[in-house]
Amino acid sequence: MSAIRSFAALVAAKLVAFATAPKRFVVTVQRAIYDLRTGKRTPWDVAKSVLMTLFGLAMVLVLLFPLFWIFAASLAEGTRLFTTSGIFPDPSTYNLGAYRWVIFESDFFFVDGDWGYPQLVLGGSGGLVSFRWAGTETGPGAVFNSLYIVSVTLAAGFGMIVPAAYAFSRRKFVGRKRILYGYVLFTQIGAGLSIATLVALYSLFSSYGLTNNLFVLGLFYAASAIPFNTWLLKTYMDNIPVSYEEAAMVDGASFFDTIREVILPLTKPGLAVVLIFVWLAGWNEFIIAQTLLRPENYPLSVELYNIATEGRFSTPWTRFAAFANLFALPVAIVYFAAQRSVEDGLSFGGMEG
Amino acid sequence: MASSQLDVGGGGLSRLRSALPFSGHDWGLLLVIPGVILFSSFMLYPIVYLFYISLTDATFAGSVIGGGAELIGLANYAQLLRDPQFWSSMSTTWLFVAVSLVVKVFVAVGIALLLNHARVVGKRYMRAAVIVPLGFPGIFTITVWRGMFSDARFGVFNTVLGRYNEFMSALSAPQVLLFDVPIGFLSGRWEAFFAYVTTEVWLAYPFMVIIIVSALQDVPESLHEAAMVDGAGWLQRFRTVTLPAIKGPVLFASILTAATSFQQFLIPWVFNRGGPARQNELIIVYGYREAISFNEFGLSAAILIVAIAFVGLFMLVAVRYGGLAEGVGEQ
Repeated sequence: MSAIRSFAALVAAKLVAFATAPKRFVVTVQRAIYDLRTGKRTPWDVAKSVLMTLFGLAMVLVLLFPLFWIFAASLAEGTRLFTTSGIFPDPSTYNLGAYRWVIFESDFFFVDGDWGYPQLVLGGSGGLVSFRWAGTETGPGAVFNSLYIVSVTLAAGFGMIVPAAYAFSRRKFVGRKRILYGYVLFTQIGAGLSIATLVALYSLFSSYGLTNNLFVLGLFYAASAIPFNTWLLKTYMDNIPVSYEEAAMVDGASFFDTIREVILPLTKPGLAVVLIFVWLAGWNEFIIAQTLLRPENYPLSVELYNIATEGRFSTPWTRFAAFANLFALPVAIVYFAAQRSVEDGLSFGGMEG
Repeated sequence: MASSQLDVGGGGLSRLRSALPFSGHDWGLLLVIPGVILFSSFMLYPIVYLFYISLTDATFAGSVIGGGAELIGLANYAQLLRDPQFWSSMSTTWLFVAVSLVVKVFVAVGIALLLNHARVVGKRYMRAAVIVPLGFPGIFTITVWRGMFSDARFGVFNTVLGRYNEFMSALSAPQVLLFDVPIGFLSGRWEAFFAYVTTEVWLAYPFMVIIIVSALQDVPESLHEAAMVDGAGWLQRFRTVTLPAIKGPVLFASILTAATSFQQFLIPWVFNRGGPARQNELIIVYGYREAISFNEFGLSAAILIVAIAFVGLFMLVAVRYGGLAEGVGEQ
């Protein structure tokens, strides 16, 4: 509960920072004007700053162009996207039709977008007249499959990555060097390796009767995320001075107290990065999922791929865009909140120089 | 305490305990074991099994699963070496890794330098925006790029190039500077290769930028000032102050992203299935297609084993000589 509250506080703080950004920008401009008037800075000096900023801004726009484009496309349901008039759809035709399609017609939330319906109940325990939500008739949709896979991946991943990272960072044991070395070798071999072993995977899964099993698939994704994230978290923990734990021990903290009060709080940025990466491992993959699962168990990533390749040459861009935006939304929110941590956690303190 | 009591308990037991390769101090191993087991059963075991398949003549899914395939030794590997498609795929893959790596490094260093520059106002926000692609699902962004590289006359890049042509013609520029639109980005060999590289660079630059920026921020400002006092120009400061600071991290990020590029599957697959005419099949796509489209499971397994061996070898060399495992030996 407190985790949710602190997450909400983090998002709120971010939003406030964004909302007040224009004011801070105005102050910067005012200060520059003041400096110009009083002769503290030369016009050429100010002009250089302005040019560099504009240059940076232009670069950001170019780099993020694909994302602007697809967002604009998601608002253009029912209009022709590729026309002579330009790349972006006409703003006057913007509509939310594509999102409506995703929510109420596609398999995103419920199969065929059947959300069920409100039902009027006369009598019963809820008073004389009450409303009840009647269940969907077609069954839950792809988002529930995705969430199920990701929960398994996160639970298994965190349960194995965090203790292992701690042990690698703080303990001596037989085979430590060898296992860690093996993990480093496999750090960058995630998705690519799973596709490479797909043939073997499929026959192994079939012979053990594990195909079409979301739980096992979630475990599989966790396994693919283990080497990189264990190593990442281990390097992060290495940067926490051992003296902190020693000091806590001297003050009478037990072993588990040091974990709870010293290690975990100080590892938060690292944990945030691992959370994102492990989440992505379960949320994004689709080739294995498509091969091992049957259509009723498809997660969002496979559905998205199916929309993208519906017609050989004609992706229904607006619907694809709306679907993809909703698909990427959870990650985007977490990412937005934890962006500072991502930068900190990925900086590999021990790797510099 | 506990161990001394056990020692008293019986001579046989204590002798057994001292014969074991681990002792009570090694309990950290218990924290690591579950992850190793999970990883081995889902990642290493399939590789071993894949190697077994590569030694058989499995030609359809049933024979792989049901075990109706015969062991034929290294025949698949021999066939592979004679297959021109294998060599073409291998060289295309290496070219792809090399070209995209060089472009990536330049792009990422450029972005990192600009977004860490003292004169850029609001650089923290720009940095936050610029690393956003890292958080988007690959299938999403890669499909979007396919849409932008559309062959159609009104595809995004073709439209942009058309505008550029109009602009240049208005300046009465020579014909050489104009593009012959529409360009079939996905139907020409090198055009498609160019599209792959562009997309790969776009996917990988955020990771590099994060690592380079954090290295840049660790450079003390006083170093730059000292260099400036000594009259060093921008280029000289870059060479003597900035470059030494980012060399390590850039090498580190290069190794990791190069290994991923080598295994790139989604870009060629989503763009045009490694086409046109199988000319741009990166190695994993090649192996995947041999299994999926042609049912050559034994051959496909051999291809993928070769690919895995290459990545493993690459990582081994990188880890040994690139200082990737620096922290491994320390305690």
